[in-house]
Amino acid sequence: MLYLELFIQGIVQGSIYGLIALGLTLVYGLLRILHVAHAALFTLGGYIGVIVTNFTGSFALAMFVAMIVVGVIGMAVYKFAYEPILHRPPYIALIASIALFIASEEIYRIVFGPFGLSYINPPLQGQIEIFSGFRLKHGEILVMVIAVVMLSALAWLSANTRTGVAWRATVTDPEMAAAFGIKIQNVRYLNFFIASALAAVAGVLVALLNNLVEPTMGSVPSYKALAIIVLGGLGSIRGTLVAALALGVIEAYGTIYLGKILDRDALAFAFLIIVLMVRPQGLLGEK
Amino acid sequence: MAYEITLATTMAISVLFALSLNFISGFCGQISLGHAAFLGTGAYASATLTKASVPFLLTLPASAVIAGFFGFLIGLASLRVRHDFLAITTMGVGFLFVGVVRKQDFLGGELGMAGIPSPDMSREMFMVFCIFLAAVFAVFSLYIRRSWMGFVFDSIADNEDVTRILGIDASRFKLAAFVIGTAGAGIAGALYAHHFRYIGPDSFGFVQSVSVLAMVIVGGIGSVWGVAFAAAILSVLPLLVQFVDDYKLLLYSALLFAMMRFAPDGIAGIVRRSAARFRRATP
Amino acid sequence: MTPVLQIENVTVRFGGVTAVHDVSLTINVGELVGFIGPNGAGKTTLMRVITGIVKPQQGRVLLEGRDLARKSIDARVGAGLALAQQIVQPLHDMSMLDNVALSCGSRKTGRVITAMLHTNREPERDKARGLLEKVGLGNVVDAMPATLPLGYLKRLEVARAMALEPKLLLLDEPLAGLNQAEAAGLADLILGLNKAGQTILLIEHNLREVLRICPTLYVQDNGVPLAFGEAGEVMKNPDVRSAYLGGHA
Ligand SMILES: Nc1ncnc2c1ncn2[C@@H]1O[C@H](COP(=O)(O)OP(=O)(O)OP(=O)(O)O)[C@@H](O)[C@H]1O
Ligand SMILES: [Mg+2]
Repeated sequence: MLYLELFIQGIVQGSIYGLIALGLTLVYGLLRILHVAHAALFTLGGYIGVIVTNFTGSFALAMFVAMIVVGVIGMAVYKFAYEPILHRPPYIALIASIALFIASEEIYRIVFGPFGLSYINPPLQGQIEIFSGFRLKHGEILVMVIAVVMLSALAWLSANTRTGVAWRATVTDPEMAAAFGIKIQNVRYLNFFIASALAAVAGVLVALLNNLVEPTMGSVPSYKALAIIVLGGLGSIRGTLVAALALGVIEAYGTIYLGKILDRDALAFAFLIIVLMVRPQGLLGEK
Repeated sequence: MAYEITLATTMAISVLFALSLNFISGFCGQISLGHAAFLGTGAYASATLTKASVPFLLTLPASAVIAGFFGFLIGLASLRVRHDFLAITTMGVGFLFVGVVRKQDFLGGELGMAGIPSPDMSREMFMVFCIFLAAVFAVFSLYIRRSWMGFVFDSIADNEDVTRILGIDASRFKLAAFVIGTAGAGIAGALYAHHFRYIGPDSFGFVQSVSVLAMVIVGGIGSVWGVAFAAAILSVLPLLVQFVDDYKLLLYSALLFAMMRFAPDGIAGIVRRSAARFRRATP
Repeated sequence: MTPVLQIENVTVRFGGVTAVHDVSLTINVGELVGFIGPNGAGKTTLMRVITGIVKPQQGRVLLEGRDLARKSIDARVGAGLALAQQIVQPLHDMSMLDNVALSCGSRKTGRVITAMLHTNREPERDKARGLLEKVGLGNVVDAMPATLPLGYLKRLEVARAMALEPKLLLLDEPLAGLNQAEAAGLADLILGLNKAGQTILLIEHNLREVLRICPTLYVQDNGVPLAFGEAGEVMKNPDVRSAYLGGHA
């Protein structure tokens, strides 16, 4: 049964990776920017989730507020940080993003204190017995449900709404899209809003699972999410999801079986390097 | 005086380290986000050797060779992946290095290696030695810029595909850049280990890799003078502004962000532009 | 007649598009072959197969009898090919002169150690200056490529390819973007090079100049070879006429 347990734990973790990495892929697909600071928005989502829940007692409201606030901040990040340097070589935006990320972590530390915040009454702590001896928290189930709902909704919207079509057209060929009268700027704002809101959801969920949000909560996901989107072939949504889930599962097994020689976080990169050497275009990327 | 000596030594080691990355990222255009791993390779190699009573000076070439060997392997990776993919791959190499070192008992594991023997020279002498090595690497860098190797590097940084169409085996030159750059980092690492006399996995993590890339970019990517200057200043800035200790990292990252946002060609770029303006103003 | 280049049954597909379909072609020492065909005929693709930028699904390419299949792009150039590309790709961060000088320095850039040990760029710059003058760019040697119009960069491509002193010079629409006088001048230069012994394969849409300088023509349409032979004969070929007149161009 250990196999199955590890597998499910891996899927839970992979769902979180997916929510974070998806936003990163959306940004990369549109702007070719490796948006490291994305993880700072993830952490911010966690803070807002905990604070609003503690004030109002409503976890659902907290989730909603986190999505809206973080989404708007994400748009601001695009407007004030990235837009002015889009025409520069890509590493400029990358370094700017890393700097922004480190600065944000410092601001969280200074504003919210170094030790982090917890829920006063952690919601969704009940457990369900999946099969004999193996239990999942409600929170963990919620993670998987939300991931599936959010991502399917996104897939459906992008295929079936005018905005979704405009977005896909812009990703495929910005100039052509502009020629057809699509307002590229609006698509970019929308893109950052959605990406950031997804990160906020992931942040709220991680804060729930750990019952803790701390300033450095984003460090590991931030770099791991980069590994995931590269594995997924940079800019491919399907590839990103596959890579996120695969990594969650590989980590779950790897920590048990390879824990002596490699720590958990290095595993992702070992996997990344091996895949890239065999398939430089990523797991599902096209040449 | 002892404090100034420590500062100057730290500066010199940072300058050497930053120039070694400048060789790869500045000259040859291969952005690396994992350069600290090679500083670490050199540091661990040298510390292990001096702890086994090998004379310090002998460990320098050994560190260079070992770091350069790993650099060669990463160089091979750079032949497979490019641009953003390469940046992330090198970042991965950095995490992998830390992840592996953490689990190795003979390297001190999580706790790192303490009690590294002092180099067989006075602190003043060691400072002079570090400055000397940094200067040698700077002169070597300036020479390479002027050589045909530098000519080819310019071309690869500009457009690798065109370089190949001009009949140049870009792969070999990229490998050479990686080997020289990482060997330089290995030597810097050996100096680092015997300067601080303690090393741990976290001394060579992602933050260090970003810091050194920041030095290169703030200085002006590719500019030997700019990078040396930026490395010297940025390496001791955190020590000098200790009175704002709590805001140190915030300040540092805000500065880096501002630099990318408003003057991405770095100090060298600012100097170049002001000089041009000055010349126009005084015909 | 010694063949320099032999293309044997080359086929290239991009997804559903067959850009080059079972093409065979031989070019002998000293020839100047004009390669024409409507837009999308697969001319550039065939050129890229020769230089190794595109790998064919079938067939092989021989240079002086040796199969190029396992050679990288730079190795093929080293073996005696040079390409002036249709889509210009100057090195933006160096002057026009240095763009050509780098290309002149193949003896110094052939090995890493040699490149490391040499600093003198003057002999190559002198040679580069001469080449730039030949293609009519003598007045812009110190300019940066980004500041110059397309017609200049086209000629830069040609000068860089000439600098390699290849056994076979591949030119992909060098006259596009040039005005009539410039085009005639460059065509004269190409003809002159050929008279001096240079073997050349010239892709060109400018039929007037092609017919003026090329004794031999090769025509391709939709990836399929239509005709090969003496220029006058080829132009009388009904398939060629319909490809041009009835077709897309
Ligand atoms: N990299 C590629 N990927 C997919 N299709 C390609 C690629 N390169 C060329 N093609 C397709 O192959 C066909 C031949 O293109 P090619 O550029 O070789 O034509 P050409 O004869 O050089 O045309 P032109 O005269 O316009 O330069 C075209 O249909 C083109 O769209
Ligand atoms: Mg073409």
